[in-house]
Amino acid sequence: MWLISRQAAACRSLLVLACGWTAVSPQVRPLHLYMKFGVPKGTVAKVASSDGQGVPRHSSGFDQFCGMLKMSDGLSVLDLSDASQANISFVTGLGHRISSDDIVGNMFQALGDDFSEGQQSEAKAARFLEQALTFPSGSFDGALVWDAFQFLGPPLINQTVEKLLRVVRPGGMILAFFNANEKIKEIPVSSYRIHDSKTLRQIPRGAPQRVRNFNNRAIERLFDAAASVKFFLTRDNLREVLIRR
Amino acid sequence: MWSKRKEDEPPQRPEKSAISPAPAVEPQRKDITMSSPSRSFEPEPLTPSRSGGSAALGKNVTVKGQIFAREDLTIDGEVEGTVECHEHRLTIGPNARVQAGLKAREIIIQGSIQGNVDATDKIDIKKEAKLVGDIKTSRIVIEDGAYFKGSIDISKPQARGAQAGQPAAAATASAQPAVAATTSQAGTPSR
Repeated sequence: MWLISRQAAACRSLLVLACGWTAVSPQVRPLHLYMKFGVPKGTVAKVASSDGQGVPRHSSGFDQFCGMLKMSDGLSVLDLSDASQANISFVTGLGHRISSDDIVGNMFQALGDDFSEGQQSEAKAARFLEQALTFPSGSFDGALVWDAFQFLGPPLINQTVEKLLRVVRPGGMILAFFNANEKIKEIPVSSYRIHDSKTLRQIPRGAPQRVRNFNNRAIERLFDAAASVKFFLTRDNLREVLIRR
Repeated sequence: MWSKRKEDEPPQRPEKSAISPAPAVEPQRKDITMSSPSRSFEPEPLTPSRSGGSAALGKNVTVKGQIFAREDLTIDGEVEGTVECHEHRLTIGPNARVQAGLKAREIIIQGSIQGNVDATDKIDIKKEAKLVGDIKTSRIVIEDGAYFKGSIDISKPQARGAQAGQPAAAATASAQPAVAATTSQAGTPSR
């Protein structure tokens, strides 16, 4: 009886895979499938819906970031994604001020279409640093980096993190996403839209770019100057990191 | 025998010339809709016909200075300075390149702006717009694809009215000690 139930479970799993990952939303995808078969390549790109609105994904890191927003009034939040109605309405609806600085847009402008190749040029890297995070010190109580940093390598990533820590006030919070699957070498550039305090929408924005893999230790070293670093495990390929300045 | 006197002859009408006189040319009227740095702009008293109209700066127009409008204004050229369009709508057209601070009741942005934007009612940023500067408004609509770098401060109209009242109250409070100081100085006997 136990053997029949195991075989039935395996057949059910194979049937789900045969129908394609797009038929199953991330929220209901059983965890044991990841453990048994691993994560297929290109899952992130396939998850996005065809209407361009993106598929909602739960975010524990953003949930905790919102906890800080709900505790006080009149905070100043930096959104490093392209300006969007959803993000502006959410943050200002909580009574805070939001600033936008499209850091991925800066990457396209300064580094060109290939981020990895563009970073090799000192002139392009310098141009990116000139344009990014040009705010006075201690301007923000929180920063939403999303997954932009995973496309940068040293020394540019270190210099960018230094600038970010400078513009966020001591005690402020930073939310960043990093790729968690070492097998994935390229990831599509995405925009992140806030759906509610626990849910985000990930919308493909550009062609896949080479991504640098950061393990927990590497991320801790990257934010060595911060007060604390907290990790959240997710069901998909993203590692959510909450940094306290 | 009798010759006609010249006085008796009816006056001769001048012959009509074949060439008709040239029509009077009306002097060209230049509708001045912008101010120049060399002369100050003094707004005319508000009239119903003037308040309901709208003005426009074409894409080949360049203005350096201050613009004050008492009607809806559309800018599609280059402007450097400040633009104030209180209680009216200001539209920045798709060809516009503005390096100025903007103030209006409602602002619609389709072109490029470098400067702070203050709209008492609403700001509408279209997808082809490019805005670098800080925004202060009650409502904001931004289309996907628009480029924006800066901060957004949403303040409700009641809050704006309260903030406007606070400086007046502060000015009244600060005036009272000044009056008292003047009185005490007047009472001081001179040597």
